[in-house]
Amino acid sequence: MFASTFEKSLLIAAWVSLGGLALAQAPEAPAEPAPVAAEPTAEQILDRIDQNMVSESRTAKMTMTVEGKRRTRTYRIESYGRGETDSAMVYLAPARDKGTKMLKLGDEMWLYLRTVDRVQKLSGHMLREGMMGSDISYEDMMNGEDLRSAYKASIEGSETVDGRDTWKLVLVAHDDTVAYPKRVSWIDKELYIPLKQELFALSGMKLKTWTMSDIKPFDGRMYPTRMTVEDHLKKGSKTTVTFDELKFGVKFAREVFSRRWLERR
Amino acid sequence: MSDRTLLKLALRNATRRPMRTALTAGMVVAGTALLVICLSWLQGMFGPMLRDATNAAGHVAVRQQAYVEREQLMPLYENLPETAPLVQIIRQQPGVVDVQPRIATGGTLTIGEEIGEVFGLVDGASKAYFTERQNLDADLVAGGRWFEDDAEEMVLGAKVAEEAGAKVGDEAVLLGATQDGSLSPIKGRVVGIVSAGSGAIDRSIYIPLARARWMTDIPDGAIELLVYGADYEDATALAATLSAVPALSELAVQAWSTRPPWSQMGPMVDGIWAFLVFVTIFLAALGIWNTMMMSVLERTDEIGVLRAMGLRRRGAVGLFVVEALVIGVVGSLVGVAVGAVPAWYLATHGIELSEQVTANMGGQFPIRTTIKAALDGGIFASAFACGLLMALIGSLLPAIRAALISPVTAMRSGR
Repeated sequence: MFASTFEKSLLIAAWVSLGGLALAQAPEAPAEPAPVAAEPTAEQILDRIDQNMVSESRTAKMTMTVEGKRRTRTYRIESYGRGETDSAMVYLAPARDKGTKMLKLGDEMWLYLRTVDRVQKLSGHMLREGMMGSDISYEDMMNGEDLRSAYKASIEGSETVDGRDTWKLVLVAHDDTVAYPKRVSWIDKELYIPLKQELFALSGMKLKTWTMSDIKPFDGRMYPTRMTVEDHLKKGSKTTVTFDELKFGVKFAREVFSRRWLERR
Repeated sequence: MSDRTLLKLALRNATRRPMRTALTAGMVVAGTALLVICLSWLQGMFGPMLRDATNAAGHVAVRQQAYVEREQLMPLYENLPETAPLVQIIRQQPGVVDVQPRIATGGTLTIGEEIGEVFGLVDGASKAYFTERQNLDADLVAGGRWFEDDAEEMVLGAKVAEEAGAKVGDEAVLLGATQDGSLSPIKGRVVGIVSAGSGAIDRSIYIPLARARWMTDIPDGAIELLVYGADYEDATALAATLSAVPALSELAVQAWSTRPPWSQMGPMVDGIWAFLVFVTIFLAALGIWNTMMMSVLERTDEIGVLRAMGLRRRGAVGLFVVEALVIGVVGSLVGVAVGAVPAWYLATHGIELSEQVTANMGGQFPIRTTIKAALDGGIFASAFACGLLMALIGSLLPAIRAALISPVTAMRSGR
């Protein structure tokens, strides 16, 4: 339960914001962050994050800006999320990538390549590639159920991030074979929102830094609307995702979570 | 003693002990024959490899410095964004015959619906680069042709085609990446399959430059400009000329011989060559030294008499050196003839390497599955000269020993 909750919460602004997931069977009504009397445990903190971030279904429109070493590219994306593990997204711009779709069902992921009208199942080394060349890998998007029990969490004190009081949570993987054997996350004490996350390799080398900011109300929930990801192995690269629209408890007009949707032009 | 007398004496000595002379000559024959075989084999292996490599990689390559530093990773983002002005400037330089923009990257090929995992080296350039520079159209299998520059067509290496199950006429999907690392597919009709017996060629996917530009999202550029002069051996001078061009001052301008793997390969080949020659000469010289030394010891009293009759030390040295050279000339001629037979066989039939070997080496070296020896006058001349050198080196120490013999001591020794 704890690890599962953790995955939901720590990756919130990551793939949830990317439209990747609509998490867990949680109440549709927004959760009011309530004060915790005593210093909470790591599990309690993560449960509270779930209460705020989780939704059964959601759609979002977002802008992803990828700053490379030599040039900057901007993508417009529409995304859909259902349940804990199903998500879909379609690229609206630029023209070169318009109509490219991604579908994730459970722990499988496919890409529809509009220009050649083909479906590519993503597996193996391809999962390590950056999504559209960004700092966010397809593997980051996977968030499989197997990851949910992979970490042991502990609170390592309090720190200030962007002027906000946070708990510093350290998560160490039980199994060294996971993509990020260690994660460190800073959780806003008042809003129960992760403001920053650092992902480490087994050697201790910092691989990625995720920062979440511009927290705004959406449908009564407090959500970070801007996420920045830096892959430290890609020097000079940075990816920023900003929400333009975000809706919770959406009833989808059509079935998007299927291969048929993926291949529909 | 006149040179004529010296030569007569040397010839007489050479025939006095036919078995020993035959043994000495045999050393020279074996060494020379071995050299002919090895040198022709090396020439046959590396000669075509160099020609293929310089045809494919250009006599001189112009690239971003940052690309060169990380060449193994093929960083597409370190490209030349605008090649047209650079091509125009390079063409105006003296010694430049041709300039070809090229994009090389990796990709997976699919025939059918679901995109598969057949990996190939994607080579994007003009039709002229492949057909005129590399002459690859000569290796097209029957029924195929080369692509047209403005068409959505591709030519596949035989190995890639076999693994993907592709044949001429099929529609194929090539999944590559943009310069930013985003997945990027293109479609194309397979119009030819090239089978050259080379790991590098047979594992490649050849597409028009325009399609490679679209796939990698480098609309007006390329990864490199391949510059050709009249002869690849003049590449260093051509690179120096281009390096002095202001428009290229920020770029890496490299002759083929200074680029990996050839920058390491060149000294290695020279090293193999030198080692082979040294070992052969050394072993043969050792044998010659042995038989010549025996000859000196046997003829100590005779040398003493000759020295007492006025033969100078230089003459004594000359006597044995000339004898050795006579044997060396005959042995070298026979050795060249003996070595030429297996070398000719290797030049005609060659040796088949396994596909695994060429596939393993082919990524870096354009090695062909059949390696043939190369025979030319230079190899025969080198082997002949080495044969004489063997004889000279082998006879020198015994000859010096003979020269140091005191006439009185020699005659007293009674040998």
